[in-house]
Amino acid sequence: MIRFSRVSKAFRDPLLVDVDLDIESGAIWGLIGPGAGGKSVLLKIAAGLMRPDAGRVEIAGRDITGDDETALAQTRERIGMLFQNNALFDFMTVLDNVAFPLRRRGVADDEAEARAEKRLRAVGLAGSEHKMPSELSGGMQKRVGLARASVADPEVVIYDEPTAGLDPVTTSKIYDLLREDHEASKPTTIVVSSDVDALLSFAPRVALLEGGVLRYDGDAAAIAESDDAVVRQFVTGSLEGPL
Amino acid sequence: MIARVGDVVIGVTREVGGIGVLMLQVLRALLPWPSMDARELWRNLYRMGVKSLPIILATAFFSGAILVVQSGIFVRRFGAEGLLGWATGYSTFREIGPILIALMFSGRVGSNNTAELGTMTITEQIDGLRALAIDPIRYLIVPRVTAMMVMLFALTVFGDFVAILGGALLGQVVVGVDTSVFWHSLFSNLGTWDLVHGLVKSVFFGLVISLTSCYFGISVRGGAVGVGRAVNASVVASAIGIMVTDCLLTLLMK
Ligand SMILES: Nc1ncnc2c1ncn2[C@@H]1O[C@H](COP(=O)(O)OP(=O)(O)OP(=O)(O)O)[C@@H](O)[C@H]1O
Ligand SMILES: [Mg+2]
Repeated sequence: MIRFSRVSKAFRDPLLVDVDLDIESGAIWGLIGPGAGGKSVLLKIAAGLMRPDAGRVEIAGRDITGDDETALAQTRERIGMLFQNNALFDFMTVLDNVAFPLRRRGVADDEAEARAEKRLRAVGLAGSEHKMPSELSGGMQKRVGLARASVADPEVVIYDEPTAGLDPVTTSKIYDLLREDHEASKPTTIVVSSDVDALLSFAPRVALLEGGVLRYDGDAAAIAESDDAVVRQFVTGSLEGPL
Repeated sequence: MIARVGDVVIGVTREVGGIGVLMLQVLRALLPWPSMDARELWRNLYRMGVKSLPIILATAFFSGAILVVQSGIFVRRFGAEGLLGWATGYSTFREIGPILIALMFSGRVGSNNTAELGTMTITEQIDGLRALAIDPIRYLIVPRVTAMMVMLFALTVFGDFVAILGGALLGQVVVGVDTSVFWHSLFSNLGTWDLVHGLVKSVFFGLVISLTSCYFGISVRGGAVGVGRAVNASVVASAIGIMVTDCLLTLLMK
Protein backbone atom coordinates (compact mmCIF):
# COMPACT_ATOMS: atom_id res chain seq x y z
CA MET A 1 0.00 0.00 0.00
CA ILE A 2 1.17 3.50 -0.77
CA ARG A 3 -0.30 6.51 0.94
CA PHE A 4 0.46 10.22 0.56
CA SER A 5 -1.07 12.70 2.98
CA ARG A 6 -0.86 16.32 1.98
CA VAL A 7 2.48 15.86 0.20
CA SER A 8 4.05 19.03 -1.19
CA LYS A 9 7.19 19.54 -3.19
CA ALA A 10 8.59 22.67 -4.81
CA PHE A 11 11.75 23.37 -6.77
CA ARG A 12 11.65 26.86 -8.13
CA ASP A 13 7.89 26.74 -8.44
CA PRO A 14 5.49 24.56 -6.46
CA LEU A 15 5.24 21.19 -8.20
CA LEU A 16 3.06 19.13 -5.89
CA VAL A 17 0.58 20.87 -3.63
CA ASP A 18 -1.02 18.91 -0.77
CA VAL A 19 -1.37 15.72 -2.78
CA ASP A 20 -3.40 12.95 -1.12
CA LEU A 21 -3.16 9.48 -2.49
CA ASP A 22 -4.08 5.99 -1.44
CA ILE A 23 -3.14 2.95 -3.47
CA GLU A 24 -4.03 -0.39 -1.91
CA SER A 25 -1.67 -3.38 -2.08
CA GLY A 26 -1.78 -5.28 -5.33
CA ALA A 27 -3.59 -2.54 -7.22
CA ILE A 28 -2.62 -1.12 -10.60
CA TRP A 29 -2.58 2.66 -10.63
CA GLY A 30 -1.95 4.75 -13.73
CA LEU A 31 -0.82 8.35 -13.70
CA ILE A 32 -1.11 10.76 -16.59
CA GLY A 33 -0.66 14.47 -16.97
CA PRO A 34 0.97 17.24 -18.98
CA GLY A 35 4.75 17.41 -19.34
CA ALA A 36 6.83 18.83 -16.51
CA GLY A 37 3.82 18.46 -14.22
CA GLY A 38 5.73 16.55 -11.57
CA LYS A 39 4.83 12.95 -12.46
CA SER A 40 8.42 11.72 -12.27
CA VAL A 41 8.94 13.63 -9.03
CA LEU A 42 5.83 12.01 -7.55
CA LEU A 43 7.19 8.57 -8.47
CA LYS A 44 10.56 9.32 -6.89
CA ILE A 45 8.84 10.39 -3.71
CA ALA A 46 6.79 7.19 -3.78
CA ALA A 47 10.01 5.19 -4.17
CA GLY A 48 11.64 6.94 -1.23
CA LEU A 49 14.27 8.51 -3.47
CA MET A 50 13.23 12.10 -2.97
CA ARG A 51 11.94 13.75 0.17
CA PRO A 52 8.79 15.85 0.07
CA ASP A 53 8.96 19.35 1.54
CA ALA A 54 5.86 18.68 3.58
CA GLY A 55 3.37 15.89 4.17
CA ARG A 56 3.64 12.23 5.06
CA VAL A 57 4.46 9.23 2.87
CA GLU A 58 3.68 5.64 3.76
CA ILE A 59 5.09 2.77 1.72
CA ALA A 60 4.13 -0.85 2.28
CA GLY A 61 2.78 -0.10 5.73
CA ARG A 62 5.76 1.94 6.85
CA ASP A 63 5.73 5.69 7.42
CA ILE A 64 9.01 6.74 5.81
CA THR A 65 8.68 10.46 6.45
CA GLY A 66 11.39 10.69 9.07
CA ASP A 67 13.53 7.74 7.92
CA ASP A 68 17.25 8.12 7.36
CA GLU A 69 19.06 6.66 4.32
CA THR A 70 19.67 3.29 5.99
CA ALA A 71 16.02 2.80 6.86
CA LEU A 72 14.96 4.11 3.44
CA ALA A 73 17.29 1.62 1.78
CA GLN A 74 15.45 -1.20 3.53
CA THR A 75 12.14 0.07 2.19
CA ARG A 76 13.58 0.44 -1.31
CA GLU A 77 14.58 -3.23 -1.32
CA ARG A 78 10.88 -4.00 -1.66
CA ILE A 79 10.45 -1.66 -4.63
CA GLY A 80 11.45 -2.01 -8.27
CA MET A 81 11.70 1.10 -10.38
CA LEU A 82 12.05 1.90 -14.05
CA PHE A 83 13.37 5.43 -14.51
CA GLN A 84 12.14 7.64 -17.30
CA ASN A 85 15.60 7.60 -18.90
CA ASN A 86 16.29 4.04 -17.76
CA ALA A 87 19.35 4.76 -15.58
CA LEU A 88 21.11 1.64 -16.85
CA PHE A 89 24.59 1.18 -15.40
CA ASP A 90 26.74 1.87 -18.43
CA PHE A 91 29.82 0.13 -17.01
CA MET A 92 28.02 -3.23 -16.88
CA THR A 93 26.72 -5.54 -19.58
CA VAL A 94 22.99 -5.82 -20.17
CA LEU A 95 22.94 -9.17 -18.37
CA ASP A 96 24.82 -7.79 -15.36
CA ASN A 97 22.43 -4.85 -15.20
CA VAL A 98 19.44 -7.17 -14.93
CA ALA A 99 21.18 -9.66 -12.63
CA PHE A 100 22.39 -6.86 -10.37
CA PRO A 101 19.28 -6.48 -8.14
CA LEU A 102 19.27 -10.25 -7.61
CA ARG A 103 22.94 -10.41 -6.70
CA ARG A 104 22.49 -7.56 -4.27
CA ARG A 105 19.73 -9.54 -2.59
CA GLY A 106 22.11 -12.45 -2.13
CA VAL A 107 20.93 -14.71 -4.96
CA ALA A 108 23.76 -17.00 -6.11
CA ASP A 109 25.57 -15.91 -9.28
CA ASP A 110 24.39 -18.78 -11.50
CA GLU A 111 20.79 -18.46 -10.47
CA ALA A 112 20.86 -14.68 -10.80
CA GLU A 113 22.16 -14.98 -14.36
CA ALA A 114 19.62 -17.62 -15.28
CA ARG A 115 16.76 -15.51 -13.97
CA ALA A 116 18.12 -12.40 -15.67
CA GLU A 117 18.40 -14.27 -18.98
CA LYS A 118 14.84 -15.48 -18.68
CA ARG A 119 13.68 -11.94 -17.96
CA LEU A 120 15.57 -10.58 -20.95
CA ARG A 121 13.93 -13.20 -23.19
CA ALA A 122 10.55 -12.11 -21.88
CA VAL A 123 11.16 -8.53 -22.99
CA GLY A 124 12.41 -9.73 -26.38
CA LEU A 125 16.11 -9.14 -25.84
CA ALA A 126 17.52 -12.64 -26.15
CA GLY A 127 20.92 -12.33 -27.80
CA SER A 128 21.80 -8.92 -26.37
CA GLU A 129 22.92 -10.20 -22.96
CA HIS A 130 26.58 -9.44 -23.45
CA LYS A 131 26.24 -6.07 -25.09
CA MET A 132 26.86 -2.85 -23.21
CA PRO A 133 23.83 -0.56 -22.74
CA SER A 134 25.36 2.08 -25.03
CA GLU A 135 25.25 -0.42 -27.91
CA LEU A 136 21.46 -0.70 -27.71
CA SER A 137 18.75 1.41 -29.29
CA GLY A 138 16.60 3.63 -27.08
CA GLY A 139 13.68 1.21 -27.09
CA MET A 140 15.95 -1.73 -26.26
CA GLN A 141 17.43 0.20 -23.33
CA LYS A 142 13.93 0.86 -22.09
CA ARG A 143 13.21 -2.87 -22.14
CA VAL A 144 16.42 -3.62 -20.22
CA GLY A 145 15.29 -1.08 -17.61
CA LEU A 146 11.92 -2.85 -17.44
CA ALA A 147 13.57 -6.20 -16.97
CA ARG A 148 15.79 -4.84 -14.21
CA ALA A 149 12.89 -3.18 -12.39
CA SER A 150 10.83 -6.35 -12.13
CA VAL A 151 13.41 -9.15 -12.05
CA ALA A 152 13.51 -9.49 -8.27
CA ASP A 153 9.70 -9.76 -7.89
CA PRO A 154 9.36 -6.63 -5.73
CA GLU A 155 6.21 -5.89 -3.73
CA VAL A 156 5.88 -2.53 -5.47
CA VAL A 157 6.86 -1.80 -9.07
CA ILE A 158 7.04 1.70 -10.42
CA TYR A 159 7.31 2.32 -14.14
CA ASP A 160 8.08 5.79 -15.49
CA GLU A 161 7.13 5.76 -19.18
CA PRO A 162 7.58 2.02 -19.81
CA THR A 163 6.61 2.29 -23.47
CA ALA A 164 8.14 5.61 -24.52
CA GLY A 165 9.98 5.16 -27.80
CA LEU A 166 8.51 1.71 -28.47
CA ASP A 167 6.54 0.74 -31.57
CA PRO A 168 2.83 -0.17 -31.13
CA VAL A 169 3.40 -3.93 -31.31
CA THR A 170 6.20 -3.87 -28.74
CA THR A 171 4.05 -1.58 -26.60
CA SER A 172 1.26 -4.18 -26.57
CA LYS A 173 3.78 -6.89 -25.74
CA ILE A 174 5.14 -4.86 -22.85
CA TYR A 175 1.66 -4.30 -21.41
CA ASP A 176 0.95 -8.02 -21.79
CA LEU A 177 4.12 -8.69 -19.85
CA LEU A 178 3.17 -6.25 -17.10
CA ARG A 179 -0.24 -7.93 -16.91
CA GLU A 180 1.34 -11.39 -16.60
CA ASP A 181 3.68 -10.14 -13.89
CA HIS A 182 0.78 -8.69 -12.04
CA GLU A 183 -1.24 -11.88 -12.24
CA ALA A 184 1.74 -13.93 -11.10
CA SER A 185 2.73 -12.13 -7.92
CA LYS A 186 0.25 -9.22 -7.53
CA PRO A 187 2.75 -6.42 -6.95
CA THR A 188 1.38 -2.94 -6.37
CA THR A 189 1.97 -1.43 -9.80
CA ILE A 190 2.31 2.25 -10.61
CA VAL A 191 2.64 3.35 -14.21
CA VAL A 192 3.20 6.79 -15.66
CA SER A 193 2.65 6.99 -19.38
CA SER A 194 1.98 9.57 -22.02
CA ASP A 195 0.42 6.81 -24.13
CA VAL A 196 -2.96 7.58 -22.56
CA ASP A 197 -5.10 5.05 -24.45
CA ALA A 198 -2.80 2.13 -23.74
CA LEU A 199 -2.59 3.11 -20.08
CA LEU A 200 -6.36 3.52 -19.72
CA SER A 201 -6.89 -0.01 -20.96
CA PHE A 202 -4.17 -1.39 -18.67
CA ALA A 203 -4.87 0.37 -15.39
CA PRO A 204 -8.34 0.06 -13.82
CA ARG A 205 -7.66 3.20 -11.81
CA VAL A 206 -5.94 6.30 -13.12
CA ALA A 207 -5.13 9.78 -11.89
CA LEU A 208 -4.36 12.98 -13.69
CA LEU A 209 -1.75 15.32 -12.25
CA GLU A 210 -2.05 18.90 -13.37
CA GLY A 211 -1.12 22.16 -11.67
CA GLY A 212 0.29 20.34 -8.66
CA VAL A 213 -2.92 18.50 -7.79
CA LEU A 214 -4.63 15.26 -8.76
CA ARG A 215 -7.52 16.58 -10.80
CA TYR A 216 -8.88 13.10 -11.27
CA ASP A 217 -8.27 9.91 -9.36
CA GLY A 218 -10.67 7.12 -10.08
CA ASP A 219 -12.15 4.66 -12.53
CA ALA A 220 -10.24 4.61 -15.82
CA ALA A 221 -13.36 3.82 -17.79
CA ALA A 222 -15.15 6.93 -16.49
CA ILE A 223 -12.37 9.47 -16.99
CA ALA A 224 -13.68 10.72 -20.32
CA GLU A 225 -16.97 11.65 -18.62
CA SER A 226 -15.31 13.62 -15.83
CA ASP A 227 -16.95 16.87 -14.73
CA ASP A 228 -13.59 18.59 -14.98
CA ALA A 229 -13.07 20.21 -18.38
CA VAL A 230 -9.27 19.96 -18.02
CA VAL A 231 -9.47 16.19 -17.51
CA ARG A 232 -11.82 15.73 -20.46
CA GLN A 233 -9.62 17.81 -22.70
CA PHE A 234 -6.45 15.99 -21.69
CA VAL A 235 -7.77 12.50 -22.35
CA THR A 236 -9.38 13.40 -25.63
CA GLY A 237 -6.38 15.41 -26.81
CA SER A 238 -8.64 18.19 -28.04
CA LEU A 239 -7.24 21.64 -28.82
CA GLU A 240 -10.37 23.35 -27.49
CA GLY A 241 -10.51 23.84 -23.74
CA PRO A 242 -8.79 25.27 -20.70
CA LEU A 243 -5.35 23.62 -21.23
CA MET B 1 35.07 44.32 -5.99
CA ILE B 2 34.63 43.40 -2.32
CA ALA B 3 31.39 41.66 -3.21
CA ARG B 4 33.21 39.61 -5.85
CA VAL B 5 35.97 38.62 -3.45
CA GLY B 6 33.23 37.68 -1.01
CA ASP B 7 31.54 35.50 -3.65
CA VAL B 8 34.81 33.71 -4.39
CA VAL B 9 35.46 33.10 -0.69
CA ILE B 10 31.95 31.75 -0.21
CA GLY B 11 32.31 29.57 -3.31
CA VAL B 12 35.64 28.11 -2.22
CA THR B 13 34.37 27.55 1.31
CA ARG B 14 31.36 25.70 -0.03
CA GLU B 15 33.46 23.40 -2.23
CA VAL B 16 35.99 22.67 0.52
CA GLY B 17 33.12 22.04 2.91
CA GLY B 18 31.50 19.68 0.40
CA ILE B 19 34.73 17.75 0.03
CA GLY B 20 35.05 17.57 3.82
CA VAL B 21 31.52 16.21 4.14
CA LEU B 22 32.28 13.61 1.47
CA MET B 23 35.36 12.55 3.42
CA LEU B 24 33.26 12.04 6.55
CA GLN B 25 30.72 10.03 4.57
CA VAL B 26 33.51 7.84 3.20
CA LEU B 27 34.88 7.30 6.70
CA ARG B 28 31.42 6.44 7.98
CA ALA B 29 30.92 3.97 5.15
CA LEU B 30 34.07 2.20 6.34
CA LEU B 31 32.49 1.61 9.75
CA PRO B 32 32.06 -0.66 11.59
CA TRP B 33 34.26 -2.75 9.37
CA PRO B 34 35.93 -1.64 6.11
CA SER B 35 34.23 -3.56 3.34
CA MET B 36 33.64 -2.70 -0.27
CA ASP B 37 32.49 -4.20 -3.51
CA ALA B 38 35.42 -6.34 -4.67
CA ARG B 39 34.51 -6.11 -8.37
CA GLU B 40 34.44 -2.33 -8.28
CA LEU B 41 37.71 -2.18 -6.36
CA TRP B 42 39.54 -4.45 -8.82
CA ARG B 43 38.10 -2.68 -11.83
CA ASN B 44 39.30 0.67 -10.50
CA LEU B 45 42.71 -0.57 -9.37
CA TYR B 46 43.26 -1.90 -12.86
CA ARG B 47 42.10 1.01 -14.95
CA MET B 48 43.40 3.72 -12.63
CA GLY B 49 46.75 2.17 -11.79
CA VAL B 50 47.85 -0.39 -14.33
CA LYS B 51 46.62 1.66 -17.26
CA SER B 52 48.45 4.76 -15.99
CA LEU B 53 51.78 3.01 -15.67
CA PRO B 54 53.25 3.80 -19.13
CA ILE B 55 52.49 7.51 -19.05
CA ILE B 56 53.66 7.89 -15.45
CA LEU B 57 56.90 6.04 -16.12
CA ALA B 58 57.60 8.08 -19.24
CA THR B 59 57.01 11.34 -17.34
CA ALA B 60 59.20 10.17 -14.48
CA PHE B 61 62.05 9.09 -16.74
CA PHE B 62 62.16 12.41 -18.55
CA SER B 63 61.82 14.52 -15.41
CA GLY B 64 64.78 12.69 -13.85
CA ALA B 65 66.73 13.13 -17.06
CA ILE B 66 65.91 16.84 -17.38
CA LEU B 67 66.84 17.45 -13.76
CA VAL B 68 70.31 16.01 -14.38
CA VAL B 69 70.83 17.80 -17.68
CA GLN B 70 69.82 21.14 -16.12
CA SER B 71 72.13 20.75 -13.15
CA GLY B 72 74.90 19.43 -15.43
CA ILE B 73 76.14 22.94 -16.18
CA PHE B 74 76.77 23.69 -12.50
CA VAL B 75 78.16 20.26 -11.80
CA ARG B 76 80.83 20.82 -14.44
CA ARG B 77 81.54 24.44 -13.54
CA PHE B 78 82.05 23.71 -9.83
CA GLY B 79 83.41 20.22 -10.26
CA ALA B 80 80.60 18.87 -8.12
CA GLU B 81 80.34 15.45 -9.82
CA GLY B 82 80.08 13.82 -6.42
CA LEU B 83 76.90 15.70 -5.60
CA LEU B 84 74.86 14.89 -8.71
CA GLY B 85 73.41 11.64 -7.39
CA TRP B 86 72.51 13.19 -4.07
CA ALA B 87 70.90 16.28 -5.61
CA THR B 88 68.86 14.26 -8.07
CA GLY B 89 67.71 11.76 -5.46
CA TYR B 90 66.90 14.40 -2.87
CA SER B 91 64.74 16.53 -5.14
CA THR B 92 63.12 13.55 -6.86
CA PHE B 93 62.19 11.61 -3.75
CA ARG B 94 61.04 14.56 -1.71
CA GLU B 95 59.34 16.84 -4.23
CA ILE B 96 59.53 16.33 -7.96
CA GLY B 97 58.55 12.66 -7.99
CA PRO B 98 55.44 12.82 -5.81
CA ILE B 99 54.20 16.12 -7.14
CA LEU B 100 54.71 15.54 -10.87
CA ILE B 101 53.26 12.07 -10.69
CA ALA B 102 50.31 13.36 -8.66
CA LEU B 103 49.63 16.08 -11.22
CA MET B 104 49.81 13.58 -14.10
CA PHE B 105 47.59 11.21 -12.18
CA SER B 106 45.07 13.97 -11.51
CA GLY B 107 45.05 14.91 -15.19
CA ARG B 108 44.55 11.37 -16.36
CA VAL B 109 42.64 9.55 -13.63
CA GLY B 110 41.01 12.35 -11.62
CA SER B 111 39.49 14.05 -14.64
CA ASN B 112 38.25 10.76 -16.01
CA ASN B 113 36.72 9.93 -12.64
CA THR B 114 34.87 13.25 -12.45
CA ALA B 115 33.54 12.81 -15.98
CA GLU B 116 32.38 9.27 -15.27
CA LEU B 117 30.65 10.05 -11.98
CA GLY B 118 29.22 13.24 -13.47
CA THR B 119 27.69 11.33 -16.36
CA MET B 120 26.30 8.77 -13.93
CA THR B 121 24.73 11.58 -11.94
CA ILE B 122 23.02 13.30 -14.85
CA THR B 123 21.78 10.00 -16.33
CA GLU B 124 20.23 9.12 -12.93
CA GLN B 125 22.48 6.08 -12.46
CA ILE B 126 23.23 7.26 -8.94
CA ASP B 127 19.47 7.33 -8.21
CA GLY B 128 19.32 3.96 -9.93
CA LEU B 129 21.75 2.57 -7.36
CA ARG B 130 19.81 4.13 -4.50
CA ALA B 131 16.62 2.61 -5.90
CA LEU B 132 18.30 -0.79 -5.61
CA ALA B 133 19.02 -0.04 -1.93
CA ILE B 134 22.70 0.50 -2.65
CA ASP B 135 24.58 3.28 -0.93
CA PRO B 136 26.40 5.14 -3.74
CA ILE B 137 29.10 6.29 -1.31
CA ARG B 138 29.92 2.77 -0.28
CA TYR B 139 29.53 1.25 -3.73
CA LEU B 140 31.06 3.92 -5.98
CA ILE B 141 33.12 6.33 -3.92
CA VAL B 142 34.86 4.13 -1.36
CA PRO B 143 36.48 1.78 -3.94
CA ARG B 144 37.57 4.75 -6.03
CA VAL B 145 39.17 6.59 -3.13
CA THR B 146 40.91 3.40 -2.03
CA ALA B 147 42.09 2.57 -5.54
CA MET B 148 43.44 6.05 -6.15
CA MET B 149 45.34 6.20 -2.87
CA VAL B 150 46.86 2.76 -3.32
CA MET B 151 47.72 3.29 -6.95
CA LEU B 152 49.19 6.76 -6.62
CA PHE B 153 51.44 5.40 -3.89
CA ALA B 154 52.52 2.47 -6.06
CA LEU B 155 53.02 4.66 -9.12
CA THR B 156 55.16 7.05 -7.08
CA VAL B 157 57.38 4.15 -5.95
CA PHE B 158 57.87 3.03 -9.57
CA GLY B 159 58.13 6.61 -10.80
CA ASP B 160 60.84 7.55 -8.27
CA PHE B 161 62.84 4.54 -9.32
CA VAL B 162 62.56 5.25 -13.03
CA ALA B 163 63.30 8.96 -12.56
CA ILE B 164 66.55 8.15 -10.76
CA LEU B 165 67.40 5.67 -13.49
CA GLY B 166 66.82 8.37 -16.09
CA GLY B 167 69.02 10.72 -14.07
CA ALA B 168 71.85 8.21 -13.77
CA LEU B 169 71.71 7.39 -17.46
CA LEU B 170 71.70 10.97 -18.69
CA GLY B 171 74.31 11.84 -16.05
CA GLN B 172 76.67 9.42 -17.69
CA VAL B 173 75.80 10.18 -21.31
CA VAL B 174 75.34 13.96 -21.24
CA VAL B 175 77.08 15.27 -18.13
CA GLY B 176 79.84 12.70 -18.04
CA VAL B 177 79.38 11.58 -14.42
CA ASP B 178 80.03 7.88 -14.15
CA THR B 179 77.02 5.86 -12.90
CA SER B 180 79.08 4.37 -10.08
CA VAL B 181 79.85 7.89 -8.82
CA PHE B 182 76.15 8.74 -9.20
CA TRP B 183 74.96 5.74 -7.20
CA HIS B 184 77.61 6.21 -4.55
CA SER B 185 76.60 9.84 -4.06
CA LEU B 186 72.95 8.81 -3.90
CA PHE B 187 73.25 5.95 -1.45
CA SER B 188 75.76 7.51 0.91
CA ASN B 189 73.90 10.79 1.30
CA LEU B 190 70.24 9.84 1.29
CA GLY B 191 68.36 7.98 3.99
CA THR B 192 65.15 5.97 3.95
CA TRP B 193 63.42 9.01 5.39
CA ASP B 194 63.93 10.97 2.16
CA LEU B 195 62.06 8.27 0.27
CA VAL B 196 59.38 7.84 2.93
CA HIS B 197 58.86 11.60 3.11
CA GLY B 198 57.79 11.65 -0.54
CA LEU B 199 55.72 8.48 -0.29
CA VAL B 200 53.76 9.81 2.67
CA LYS B 201 52.97 12.84 0.55
CA SER B 202 51.80 10.66 -2.32
CA VAL B 203 49.22 8.95 -0.10
CA PHE B 204 47.78 12.32 0.89
CA PHE B 205 47.85 13.52 -2.71
CA GLY B 206 45.87 10.39 -3.59
CA LEU B 207 43.31 11.28 -0.96
CA VAL B 208 43.06 14.87 -2.20
CA ILE B 209 42.69 13.88 -5.87
CA SER B 210 40.17 11.13 -5.19
CA LEU B 211 37.92 13.13 -2.88
CA THR B 212 38.04 16.21 -5.10
CA SER B 213 37.32 14.35 -8.31
CA CYS B 214 34.52 12.31 -6.73
CA TYR B 215 32.96 15.39 -5.15
CA PHE B 216 32.88 17.36 -8.39
CA GLY B 217 31.53 14.30 -10.19
CA ILE B 218 28.58 13.62 -7.92
CA SER B 219 27.62 17.27 -7.58
CA VAL B 220 27.24 17.88 -11.33
CA ARG B 221 24.17 19.88 -12.33
CA GLY B 222 23.00 20.79 -15.79
CA GLY B 223 23.62 18.09 -18.38
CA ALA B 224 26.67 17.53 -20.55
CA VAL B 225 27.75 21.16 -20.20
CA GLY B 226 27.77 20.67 -16.45
CA VAL B 227 30.00 17.60 -16.76
CA GLY B 228 32.52 19.59 -18.80
CA ARG B 229 32.53 22.35 -16.24
CA ALA B 230 32.92 19.90 -13.37
CA VAL B 231 35.92 18.16 -14.98
CA ASN B 232 37.57 21.51 -15.45
CA ALA B 233 36.90 22.61 -11.87
CA SER B 234 38.02 19.25 -10.53
CA VAL B 235 41.44 19.34 -12.22
CA VAL B 236 42.09 22.92 -11.11
CA ALA B 237 40.92 22.25 -7.55
CA SER B 238 43.02 19.05 -7.36
CA ALA B 239 46.13 20.91 -8.47
CA ILE B 240 45.60 23.61 -5.86
CA GLY B 241 44.80 20.98 -3.26
CA ILE B 242 48.01 19.11 -4.07
CA MET B 243 50.09 22.26 -3.69
CA VAL B 244 48.46 23.28 -0.41
CA THR B 245 48.80 19.75 1.00
CA ASP B 246 52.41 19.62 -0.13
CA CYS B 247 53.17 22.86 1.63
CA LEU B 248 51.50 21.74 4.86
CA LEU B 249 53.13 18.30 4.85
CA THR B 250 56.57 19.71 4.11
CA LEU B 251 56.22 22.04 7.09
CA LEU B 252 54.92 19.24 9.30
CA MET B 253 57.57 16.67 8.36
CA LYS B 254 60.59 18.95 8.50
N1 LIG C 1 16.05 17.42 -8.98
C1 LIG C 1 15.44 18.49 -9.49
N2 LIG C 1 15.93 19.74 -9.30
C2 LIG C 1 15.32 20.82 -9.80
N3 LIG C 1 14.19 20.76 -10.53
C3 LIG C 1 13.64 19.57 -10.77
C4 LIG C 1 14.24 18.37 -10.27
N4 LIG C 1 13.48 17.33 -10.66
C5 LIG C 1 12.47 17.85 -11.37
N5 LIG C 1 12.55 19.18 -11.45
C6 LIG C 1 11.62 20.08 -12.12
O1 LIG C 1 10.31 19.69 -11.81
C7 LIG C 1 9.46 19.80 -12.94
C8 LIG C 1 8.69 18.54 -13.12
O2 LIG C 1 9.53 17.48 -13.40
P1 LIG C 1 9.03 16.00 -13.69
O3 LIG C 1 10.18 15.29 -14.27
O4 LIG C 1 8.43 15.43 -12.47
O5 LIG C 1 7.89 16.20 -14.78
P2 LIG C 1 7.05 15.09 -15.52
O6 LIG C 1 5.63 15.30 -15.20
O7 LIG C 1 7.62 13.75 -15.24
O8 LIG C 1 7.30 15.50 -17.03
P3 LIG C 1 7.46 14.57 -18.33
O9 LIG C 1 6.10 14.13 -18.73
O10 LIG C 1 8.06 15.47 -19.34
O11 LIG C 1 8.33 13.45 -17.93
C9 LIG C 1 10.35 20.18 -14.10
O12 LIG C 1 10.13 21.54 -14.40
C10 LIG C 1 11.74 19.96 -13.61
O13 LIG C 1 12.59 20.94 -14.13
MG1 LIG D 1 8.70 12.45 -16.23
